[in-house]
Amino acid sequence: MINGFIILFGLTMLYLAATSRIIAHIRLLVIQGILLFLICCGGMEHLNWLNFAFLTVETLIVKSIIIPAFLYKVLKKTHSNRDVAANIPHFYCLFIASIILLAGFLVSNYYVSSVKLISPIFFGVSVATIIISLWLITIKHKIISNVIEFITMENGIFLLSLSVAKEMPMLVNLGVLLDVFIAVYILGLFINVINKEFKDLEVSHLSDLKDYEYND
Amino acid sequence: MINTILIFPIIACLLMLVIKNKTFSTLMVNTYAVIHAVITTMFTLNIGRDSHNPYFVVDNTNLIFLIILSLVFLMVAIYNTGYVKNFEFPDKKIRNYSFMILIFVLSMTGTLLSTDLGLAWVLVEATTLSSAYLIYFNRTKHSIEAAWKYVFICSIGIALAFVGIILLNISTGSINTLNFAHLYKYASTFDHIWLELAFVFMLFGFGAKMGLAPIHFWLPDAHSEAPSPISALLSAALLNSAFLVIVRVFKIMTLADCAGYARFMLLIMGFISIFVTAVFVYHIRNYKRMLAYSSIENMGILAIGTALGGAAYYAVILHLIGHSLAKASFFLTSGNVLELFESKRVKSVNGLMTADGKTGWLWVLSFLAICAFPTSVLFISEFIIIKTMILQGHYLLCAMFALLLTIVLYGIGKVVIKMTFGELSKDKKELIEQNKSKVSGFMYLPQFIMLLIVFTLGIYIPPFLQQIINCAVAGF
Repeated sequence: MINGFIILFGLTMLYLAATSRIIAHIRLLVIQGILLFLICCGGMEHLNWLNFAFLTVETLIVKSIIIPAFLYKVLKKTHSNRDVAANIPHFYCLFIASIILLAGFLVSNYYVSSVKLISPIFFGVSVATIIISLWLITIKHKIISNVIEFITMENGIFLLSLSVAKEMPMLVNLGVLLDVFIAVYILGLFINVINKEFKDLEVSHLSDLKDYEYND
Repeated sequence: MINTILIFPIIACLLMLVIKNKTFSTLMVNTYAVIHAVITTMFTLNIGRDSHNPYFVVDNTNLIFLIILSLVFLMVAIYNTGYVKNFEFPDKKIRNYSFMILIFVLSMTGTLLSTDLGLAWVLVEATTLSSAYLIYFNRTKHSIEAAWKYVFICSIGIALAFVGIILLNISTGSINTLNFAHLYKYASTFDHIWLELAFVFMLFGFGAKMGLAPIHFWLPDAHSEAPSPISALLSAALLNSAFLVIVRVFKIMTLADCAGYARFMLLIMGFISIFVTAVFVYHIRNYKRMLAYSSIENMGILAIGTALGGAAYYAVILHLIGHSLAKASFFLTSGNVLELFESKRVKSVNGLMTADGKTGWLWVLSFLAICAFPTSVLFISEFIIIKTMILQGHYLLCAMFALLLTIVLYGIGKVVIKMTFGELSKDKKELIEQNKSKVSGFMYLPQFIMLLIVFTLGIYIPPFLQQIINCAVAGF
C-alpha cells in the first residue's frame, strides 16, 4: 500500500514537468501533502503518538493547506497563471523527468538493496524527486514556479527522511523545521516584497547585479 | 558561561521589544559584543569552560573560531556605533537592525559551539534567516535581488546538506546519533559508499554557505548590497562558521578512512574558487564585489589547505585568523569610502588619500594585509601552503596556485591603486566636504586595531595563541 502511494508521489513529479499552468502546480502540492500524510500513516506503528500528531499537522496542515493557500493568494494578486516561456518544450520535459525517475528506481534497486535500513523504492523516488525539482528550477522563468519546485524538492527530502524515521525520528522533525523556514520566509516575506517592488514575478527582473555591466 | 553567551542576546531582544528606543538597541549590541569578548577571554584562560549543557561545548577545535568571531564582532560593534548615526531611517527599522544583528551573532555562536550535527544544521539555517533581513536592509531593488538570491541559493544548499545528514545516518548503520563525539568514536564502522555520498551533499550544502565555488553566486551580491558592518560580519564570521562544520565532517571522513576522497573534493572546490575569483576580479567594476570575490578566493585557500593536510592545517588556522581580521577591516573601510563618495563604482572613486588620509591609508594597509604582503600573517600561511605543496610533490598545483593568486593580486591591486591616488575633481571635493562629518572616530579605530594584530602576528605569535592554534590543528 505504501509503495503505491510512493509511486503516485513519483508520478506527480511527471505531471509537474509536463504542465505549465501554475494553478495546476499548486493543486499538485496539495496532492503531494496528502500523499505524504498517507505514507506517514502507513509507517505509524514505528512512531509514538506525539511524533505522529506532529507529522499530521505538518503534512495535512502546513504542506496541504497553508503553503498552497499562500501561493494561491500570490497567484491571484499577480495574475500570472502560466509559465509559458520555459526553455524546453513540455514533451522533452516529460521525457527527461521520466528518465530521471526510471534511473532513480534502477540505481536504488541496484545499490540500496544491500542496505537493510532503507527500502529502495523510498530512496529511488525521493532522490528522483529532488533531482527533477532542481532541474526544473533551472529551466523555469517565474519566481513562483521556482518556489513551487523548491517545495517539491523539500517534499522529496521529507520522503527521504521518513525512510529513516524508524531509526531516528529527530531527523524527520529537522525536516519539518526546514519546511517551516520556507513557509515563513520565502513565501510570507519575499514574494510580497518582491511583488511590491517589481510588479510581476519574472526571474529575469532579478538579474541587475552583474560583474561586467555595472548598474549603480 | 556558555549559557550566558547564548541567553544574553535572547534577553536583550526581549528587552528591545519592551524598551522601544534606538539608542538602547545599539547599546544592547555593544553590550553583547563586550560580554561575548569577556566570556571568550575567560574561555581562552581556561576559566568556566565546563558547563552542564550537553548541546553546547567549548572544545579545542572551536575555541579559535570563537575568538575570531568575538574579536570581529567587538570591532564591528565599535564601527557600528558610528555607522548607525548616519542612518536616515525610522527608529523602528534601526531597532529591527540591532535585533537581527543580535540573532545573527547568536546563531553563529551557537553553530560554533554545538556538539551535534543536527543542531549545527538548524543554527546555520537560523543564520540565513537573520542575515537575509540585514542584507535587504536598504530596501532598494538591488538589495532585494541580492537577498532573494541569498535566501534561495542558501536554502537549496541547506536542503542538500540535510540530504547529506540523512545519508550519513544511513551510513552509520545501527548507531543513531548525530553527536560529533559519538560520530568520531564509531566512524571506523561506517559504510564507505554512503559516507562518501553524504560528504558530497554536505560539502555542497555547507560549502554554499561558506562561499566555495561553484555555489558561490549569492556571495558577491549579498556582500556588496549589505550595509558595510554586516558585510564584515558575513565575510569574517559567517563563512568561518560554515567552514567549522565542514572541518568536523572532514574529521569524520578521516577517521572513517575516506580522507583521500574528501581531500580530492576539497582540492577541486578550492581551485575552482580561486579560478573564479581570478576571472571575475580582473575586470571588476564594483569595489565591494571585489572584496566579496576575495573572500571566495580565501575560502578556496582554506579548502586547499585542509585538502593538503600535514603542516598545511597549521597554515589553515593562521589563514583563518588573518583573513577574518584583514577582510573585516577591508569591508569596514569600504563603508567609509561609500559614505564619502556615495558610490560603489570603482570609476567614481579616486584620490582617496587626498579626500581622507586615514581612510586612504586603511584602504592601502588592508590591501597589503589581504594580499599577504610581509609581515601580514597571511604571508606565512600562504607560504606554508606552497611549501607543503612542494614537499608533497604537487609541482603543477603549486604553479597554478601561485599563478592564480598573482592574477587576483593584480586585479585587486589595480583597483586599490586607482582608487587611492589621483586628483579629485571640483564637484567631488564638494561632495566629500559634505560627507566628511559622517565618518567619525569610531569608524577608523577598529580597522587600525585589526590590521595591527594581522601585521604583528606575522612576526610574533604569543605563546598562549600558539597553544590554542596547536590544539585546533589537532581537531582536523
